[in-house]
Amino acid sequence: MSWSAEKSESCPTCEFQQNLNVLREIYFFSALPLDTLKVFAYLCTRENFKLGDFLFTQDDDDGQAFYLISGDAVLTRTENGAEAIIRNYTEGDFFGALTLLGNSPRLFSLKASSPVTCLIISRDKFVHVMNQYPQLMSNIFHAVARNIHHWEELFLSDRSEGCKACTQRIGVSLI
Amino acid sequence: MEKEKIAIVKRSLFSWVLPGNVKLQVVLVLLISVTVFARVIPLEMQKRIVNEAIKLRKMDLLLIYCGCYLVSVLLASGLKFMITILQTRISENVLANMRKDLFAHILTLPLNFYRKAQPGMVVSALVTELATAGSFVGLAISAPVINIMTLLAFAGYLIYLNPLLAVISLALYPVILIIIPILQRGANKANKQRVDSTRTISSLIGEAISGIHEIQGNGTFRLENRRFGSLVDQMRKIRIIWTLYKQGVKVTNNFFVSLGPFVIFILGGYLSMQGQLELGAMVAFLSAQEKLYDPWKELIEFYQVYMDASVSYKRTMEYFDTPTEFIVEPEGRRALLLPGSIDIKELSYVTDTGIQLLDNINLSLKSGETLALVGFSGSGKSTLALCIGQLYKYSGGHILLGEMEVADLTKQDLITNMGFVSQSPFIFSGSIDENLVYSYAAIHDVETNMEQPSLDDKIAVLHQTGIFVDVLRFGLNTILDKERQEDLAARLIIVRENFQQEYGEKLADHVEFFDENKYLYFSSVAENLFLGTPNDPTFSENNLPQNSYFLELLNRADLTMPLLSLGAELTRQTVDILGSLSPDPVFFEQSPISFDEWDESILLADRIKRTKLLQLSDIDRNYLLKLALRFEPGKHKLVALPAILERMILEGRSLIQESITRDAPAAFSFYQLSNYIYNQTIMNNILFGQIKTSNPKALDTINQSIIQLIIEEDFLETIVEIGMQFQVGSKGDKLSGGQRQKLAIARTFLKSPRIMIMDEATSALDNKSQTRIQNLLETRWKGKTTLISVVHRLDIIRNYDKVAVMKAGKIIELGSYDELIAKKGALYELVGGKK
Repeated sequence: MSWSAEKSESCPTCEFQQNLNVLREIYFFSALPLDTLKVFAYLCTRENFKLGDFLFTQDDDDGQAFYLISGDAVLTRTENGAEAIIRNYTEGDFFGALTLLGNSPRLFSLKASSPVTCLIISRDKFVHVMNQYPQLMSNIFHAVARNIHHWEELFLSDRSEGCKACTQRIGVSLI
Repeated sequence: MEKEKIAIVKRSLFSWVLPGNVKLQVVLVLLISVTVFARVIPLEMQKRIVNEAIKLRKMDLLLIYCGCYLVSVLLASGLKFMITILQTRISENVLANMRKDLFAHILTLPLNFYRKAQPGMVVSALVTELATAGSFVGLAISAPVINIMTLLAFAGYLIYLNPLLAVISLALYPVILIIIPILQRGANKANKQRVDSTRTISSLIGEAISGIHEIQGNGTFRLENRRFGSLVDQMRKIRIIWTLYKQGVKVTNNFFVSLGPFVIFILGGYLSMQGQLELGAMVAFLSAQEKLYDPWKELIEFYQVYMDASVSYKRTMEYFDTPTEFIVEPEGRRALLLPGSIDIKELSYVTDTGIQLLDNINLSLKSGETLALVGFSGSGKSTLALCIGQLYKYSGGHILLGEMEVADLTKQDLITNMGFVSQSPFIFSGSIDENLVYSYAAIHDVETNMEQPSLDDKIAVLHQTGIFVDVLRFGLNTILDKERQEDLAARLIIVRENFQQEYGEKLADHVEFFDENKYLYFSSVAENLFLGTPNDPTFSENNLPQNSYFLELLNRADLTMPLLSLGAELTRQTVDILGSLSPDPVFFEQSPISFDEWDESILLADRIKRTKLLQLSDIDRNYLLKLALRFEPGKHKLVALPAILERMILEGRSLIQESITRDAPAAFSFYQLSNYIYNQTIMNNILFGQIKTSNPKALDTINQSIIQLIIEEDFLETIVEIGMQFQVGSKGDKLSGGQRQKLAIARTFLKSPRIMIMDEATSALDNKSQTRIQNLLETRWKGKTTLISVVHRLDIIRNYDKVAVMKAGKIIELGSYDELIAKKGALYELVGGKK
């Protein structure tokens, strides 16, 4: 009964199969067995956003992780009324993994800078599924730990010497 | 009146017999006297028929005596029936009064009582245990009177017939009177245990039902079954013993009573042979003796009912025998109007177990001042609020509202002047509207000349607390009733037209508009086939697979097989994806298979694997067809709708619409801009389409547009009014935690009290709503209402007149926010400053 690669080509419109392929590419999910991935592929939803729509806004705790199927989005942070652009996201990016693991109000806002289609999985659904596979949580934690480590490596190699305060905060992977 | 109510738990069972029933009881006793007389006559007639009529062969006497016999039997039966009616009326009157009074008493018991009392137990006391007591009261006078009188009458008659025989056959009864009470004592003991065990079981059931989410969440089915099982087993043993004792009483009684004829035959036979007893007299004696049995049996039964009733009654009343701590309504005066100032002097509160929760609290608030109570949890701030609200009875010191001591005020005085919003407010089942006027209605019930709150007042408080938009949404999600709301539907069609013109284009991304030339991905296959609402129930989605006319149409459109295989594919896919999980309703939101059908679907998937579709049973094929008809490709993504099937369904649609218009035009209302769609929500009717997205931001855009429009069309109030009829479900569980809190605040605002106590009343609200309510308290209510807020978030207390910091039951700092911060003391530390 398993889905094979040939079948997906014979079913180009089948969203479920496409979702499954996407999830297998995402670091957060890729270590999960196929059966579990299928459940997630079934439970995640697609949304379209128009240029200028917010995917999420600062301070909200919307509890959703996003994968950009197409389009571009810009991440901003508002401090004391001033909005600063942090970075851009584009097709193939995945973000919001930590929000699946626990309540975390957004520190940033994400706005579509072109028409965007994304795949969304909510914390509620994620928790319901993972409650049934408690043993698989370790796969998720490994993936998250690896990602944080990787992120800090990049940070250390790129960090600009000018930012003293940033240096103080180094050591995320130690927390 | 009040005193009587308080005393209910002290009242004896017999005190219920006469009050309110004197007339009925007197009539009853009169009826009984006549009945007893009517019961003896047949005996005498019997004797005369044998001795005079038969022996002397007198036909006329036979007819007269038989006539008398018949009349007296008819009379006795008729009277017996009337007696039963009266007894039942008395029983039910008293039972209803007992229940009402006890319930009224239970509502006034101190909150402490409910720490140990389980709801299930209270239910069993009110519903089951009092019933025996009630039925006893109906019998209390009549049963002993009628049966003892009948017994005496029969006994007298027996003595008149033959003293010797009478005395010997009656001598059995005293023996019974000695044995039965012994057995009954055993029954009483078992009955006491039964009442207690019923209570324990009721508590356990009550707790299991309230905690069902924990049981299912933790999977503690075996544990709970074991607990319940052991209690039930215990109860079974007790009930067996109880029943055996009760039956023992009956059997013993029967045995001795049956010995009666034996004595008569042996002694009476002898006397008759000796010529000392006439045969007629012996026949009369035998039947009189036999007739002794019924009243005697009833007397014994009455004795048993009395015993059972007094046990359950006493047990129940003892349980609730806790003094109330306040008086409900003032006597002979109207509720006081208090000025709104609060003075607390040397207040202390010590629990029953001797723990001091409040210690020497001194505090003074002028009318209209605001106070924030802060401190760590366990510092006593909620306890203080509850004491001021008269929910806990403080054990020392004073709380004065104006000049009046809180402990001495009646509840009515208190609720007229004070509003209390608790930490986890309770919302009752019923509509939003009923819950909104809940606090207000309590005052209005007594002060009947007060006006009912107007719709504008209600809307104002809904706005203030920020639940307005939610209520509006409930209104928009309502499905109108075709019979009663046709006018409204007609007006909504005009709104729909304007919506299409103004917002149609803007929202096209988020809404799939109904269009007869397009396939609707967010509507079911059935809706796509008809593009209409069935008026005839045989065309409803559930009945379609059995509708032969529809099946014939499907065949003509060549859709039967494709839809069956679609149903099969849906089953196969869902089972493949979810088969390894334990079912959870969340998983079925995106599949046409519902949670309830899951077990059957797993088996069906297996059958599909092994059997050809055409060889499946009718039931299976019907189900597959039903699944296919429910399929919404926009929502159920696990199977894609093949392009060819989409085209076939569109062609099927025109065939079906044509056929139905020709054959049964009344069966459907087709989706046309000029028709209201009665099985869809108001929202969908205005949209004339289905919402495609579940993204909160997009939904917000749609809502904003609709609200904008209904304001323009002057429809807002109507929709909110409909929304206020939304049923919140048991314990308000169809509302979110935030909505429940907002509703609780709204119901307090609605009665605009002089004093408001809010015990962490905004804890479940998001930042925005919390700020909004805080602003409102600081503007609209400032100066008009004295406010005491128990606060767990320290960023909202800046503008309170006073802040009291509590620790271990004492106020350790009291002053304005700025003063306390400048002092760099406890508040400064709490807020996060460092020394």
